[in-house]
Amino acid sequence: MRENRGMAKQRTPVLKVSKLSKSYGPNPIVTDFSLEVWPGDAVALTGRNGAGKSTILRCLVGADKADSGTIEICGTAMRESNPQVRRDLATVIDDLDFFPDLSVVEHLDLLARAHGLPDAEEAVDEVLHEVQLVPQSGQLPGTLSSGQRRRLALATAFVRPRKLLILDEPEQRLDVEGVEWLAQRLKAEREAGLAIIMASHEPRLVDVVSTRTIRVGA
Amino acid sequence: MSKKTRRRTGQVGGAAPSPATTEPSPPVQTGPAPEPEPVVLTRLLTEVEPVPVSETVLRGMMRDWRRGRATRHLWDMIQDGYVVLLASVMIGAMLVSVVIRAQGAVSGCDTSGCISARTLLPWAALCGVLALTLMVARIFGPVVASAAEGFWLMEAPIKRARILWGRLVAVILGAAVVAAAFGGLVAALTGSTWAGVVNWAVAAGLGAAGLLAVAAAEQTRDRTWVVRTVQWLVGIVGLAALLVVIATAAAWIEPLSWLAATENRLNLIVAVVGAVLLVGAGILALNRLDEIRRARLVSGGSLVAGMQGAMYAMDMSLMRDILVERDAISRGHVRPTKGHGTGLTALVWRDAQRLVRFPKQMILLVLSVIVPYAVSALGLGVLSPVVSGLVLLTALVPMLGMLRVLSRTGGLARSFPFTTSQIRTAAMTVPAIATLVWIAAVAPAFIGLGAGGAHLTVVDAAIHAAITGLAGLLGAVRWVTAKPPDYNKPMMQTGFGAMPPGMMGNLIKGIDIVAVVTLPILFNWSYWISVVIAGIAFFILRGSMNTDDMRAAQEEQQRQLEANKAAAGGKKKIPPPAR
Repeated sequence: MRENRGMAKQRTPVLKVSKLSKSYGPNPIVTDFSLEVWPGDAVALTGRNGAGKSTILRCLVGADKADSGTIEICGTAMRESNPQVRRDLATVIDDLDFFPDLSVVEHLDLLARAHGLPDAEEAVDEVLHEVQLVPQSGQLPGTLSSGQRRRLALATAFVRPRKLLILDEPEQRLDVEGVEWLAQRLKAEREAGLAIIMASHEPRLVDVVSTRTIRVGA
Repeated sequence: MSKKTRRRTGQVGGAAPSPATTEPSPPVQTGPAPEPEPVVLTRLLTEVEPVPVSETVLRGMMRDWRRGRATRHLWDMIQDGYVVLLASVMIGAMLVSVVIRAQGAVSGCDTSGCISARTLLPWAALCGVLALTLMVARIFGPVVASAAEGFWLMEAPIKRARILWGRLVAVILGAAVVAAAFGGLVAALTGSTWAGVVNWAVAAGLGAAGLLAVAAAEQTRDRTWVVRTVQWLVGIVGLAALLVVIATAAAWIEPLSWLAATENRLNLIVAVVGAVLLVGAGILALNRLDEIRRARLVSGGSLVAGMQGAMYAMDMSLMRDILVERDAISRGHVRPTKGHGTGLTALVWRDAQRLVRFPKQMILLVLSVIVPYAVSALGLGVLSPVVSGLVLLTALVPMLGMLRVLSRTGGLARSFPFTTSQIRTAAMTVPAIATLVWIAAVAPAFIGLGAGGAHLTVVDAAIHAAITGLAGLLGAVRWVTAKPPDYNKPMMQTGFGAMPPGMMGNLIKGIDIVAVVTLPILFNWSYWISVVIAGIAFFILRGSMNTDDMRAAQEEQQRQLEANKAAAGGKKKIPPPAR
C-alpha cells in the first residue's frame, strides 16, 4: 500500500495546466493552454512580444487569475497564498519587490532562514559568490544597477529549496557572461531533477536549458 | 551613413547605391576591405559664434507651450467642480465661524493651564511649522527643475538663475503664506487677542520665509548639515514648549509669567530675524542660483513629479514609499547584520534589526507619547482616545515598513513559505510590542491631569490607553496594507471627471479604523464594543478573512469539480470566475 502511494506520488507532475484561458477585455491572450511538466523537465516558452508568454507565467505563479482552466503544483490546486505552493515554487517574474532598508546579503539570509535552511549562512555565501554580488553584499537594493538587481532576483530563487522554477525572461539586463552563467546554472538544476518553465528570447539560453520548446501564439 | 548625411555631403544622386547593391552581399571577400568613405562636414558647429540667448524669451516659450497645450484650464475645472467649490466655501465659512467662537470662549479663560497654553502653544506651533518648512525644503530642494528642463534647458549655455529665480520667489512666498495662516490659526484657537494673532502670523510667515531662503542658499553650496541642524534645534525648542504646557497644566511647575509678559517682544524678534534672513540669505541665494548642480535640481523635480503622481491617485502610501526609497538610496550602504532563527522567527528578528538600524523610525512614536498628556492638560481628555489614536497611527506607519513591502506587491510575499496571515502577524509583531510600551507610557495621562477635564480610575485609564493603542496600531496596519485604487475596474463619474472606485476611500484609510474603535469610548458606551470591533478589524487585517483568497479558492474548487464532471463525460460548461 505504502509502495503504491509512493508510486502515485512519483507519477504526479510538478506542474499540470489544463485548458488555461485568459483574456484582457475582449482580447483573448491565451486560449486552452495545457501543459505537464515533470521533474527534470525544462520547458521554454518562446514567441513574439505580446504573444502571451508572460501572461501564462503570471497565471501559473498566481499573480494573475486565469479566466478558466486548472493549475496544479505537485498535485495541489494552485492557490497563490497556499504555503505548500509557496514552498515548492520559486519565481522570478517582474513583480519581485525588495525591502528598501535591507542589504543584498540580508535579503538572501532572510529567505534562506524563512525556508528553514539549516546552513543558511553557507548557502547565502555560495549564491552570493555565484551571482557575483559579493562586493555589493552591504548595498541597499535601490542603489544596485538594473543588472545587479536582476542577479539579486535570481539569487532569491536559488538560495531557497524549490521543486519548480518559473522564470520570465531571466536573461534580461544580464551581460554576456551572465547569460552564459545562467544557462549553465539552469542546465545543472534541470539535470539535478528540478523542473523549470521559462519564457525567453535568448536562443543560447533556450538551447542549453530546455528539453522542450513551446512557441506561444504561433 | 544616413540618407540625410549623404544629402548634406552631396552624395545623393550619382554616388547612390543601385538597387542591386542593397541585396545581401556574399560572405566571401575577394580582396582587402574597402576604405570607409571620408565624412565631409559642411557645418562645423565648433566655429559657430553663438547668438546671445534671452532666458526671458525661453521662459515665455515654456509657459506658452504648457498653457497652450493644456486640455483643461482652471476655469473649466471650477465649472466642473462647482459643487465641491461651493461646499469648500461653506465649510471654510463654518471653520472661520468656529475659530472666532473658540477664540472668544478661550480668551476668557484665566486658569494657569489656559494662560500657559495661550503663551506656549503658539511657540510650539511656530517651531513645528518652521521645522516642517526646513524639512520639506531639504527633501525637495527647495529650488527644483523637472527632468525635461534639466535635460533641455539647464545644460544649455544660459544663465540658469534667470530661469530659476521666479520659482525660488514663489516657493518663499508660498511658505510664508502657509506658515502665517497656521501660526495665526493656532494663536486664535488658544485665545490670543486679535493683535496677538496678527503678531504670531507675521512671525511664522517671516520666520518660514527666512529659513527657506537659508535652505536655498545652502542648496547652492550643495550641503544640508546647516539646515538639518537648525531643523533639529527648532524642533527641540517646540517640543520643550509643549512639555512646559503639560507640566504647567498638571501643576508640576509654576506658570512662566515672565514669558507671557514678554510674548509680543519675543515674537517680534522672531519676525525681525526672519526678515533679516530673508533679505540676506535670499540675496545670497539669488546671486548663486547658477551654482546649483543640475543633478540636485532635477532630483527634487523628479521627487515632485513622483509625489504629484501619487497625489493624483490619492495614494499616501505610495508617497511615503517614494520618500523611503529616496532615503535608502541616499544612505546607499549598510553594515550587514547576521539573522537569527528560522521560519517566522527570522522575519520578526529581521524586522527588529531593521528598526535598530534606522532608529529615526521610532522618533515619532516616542514623541507621540506626549500627545495624550498634552490633550489631557488642555482639559480635552474626552477626545484623547480619538486624537491620540490618530497620532499613534501616524507614528506607527514608519515602523510597519516590512508589512508595507510584503503587502504592496505579491512577489516578495510569494517567496516566503507562509500564509498571508502568518506573514502579516510576523510583520506586526515588533510594532505591536512597541505599542504595548506606548500604552504603558501613556496610561497615566488618561487618569487626567490638572484641575479641569475628566478624571478616570486607574483601571479605566488603563483600558482607555489599551483601546487607544489598539486603535492606532490597527489603523496603521490598515493604512499600510490598503490596496491602491484599481484602475482596471469601471470608473465612477464625479464632478472632477472619472475616478476609480476606492479612490476617495483611500484618503480615510486607517482613520476609519481609529474612529470606529475609539468612538464607543467617546460616547461612553461599553468598552466591550470597542474590543469586539478591534477584534474583528484585527481578524480581517491580518488576512484571515481575505475575501479575494476565499473567492479564488471557491472558484478553483468549482472549476475542479466542473472539470472532473466534464472529464467523466458531462457536457456542462465551466463558468469563468467573476472579476
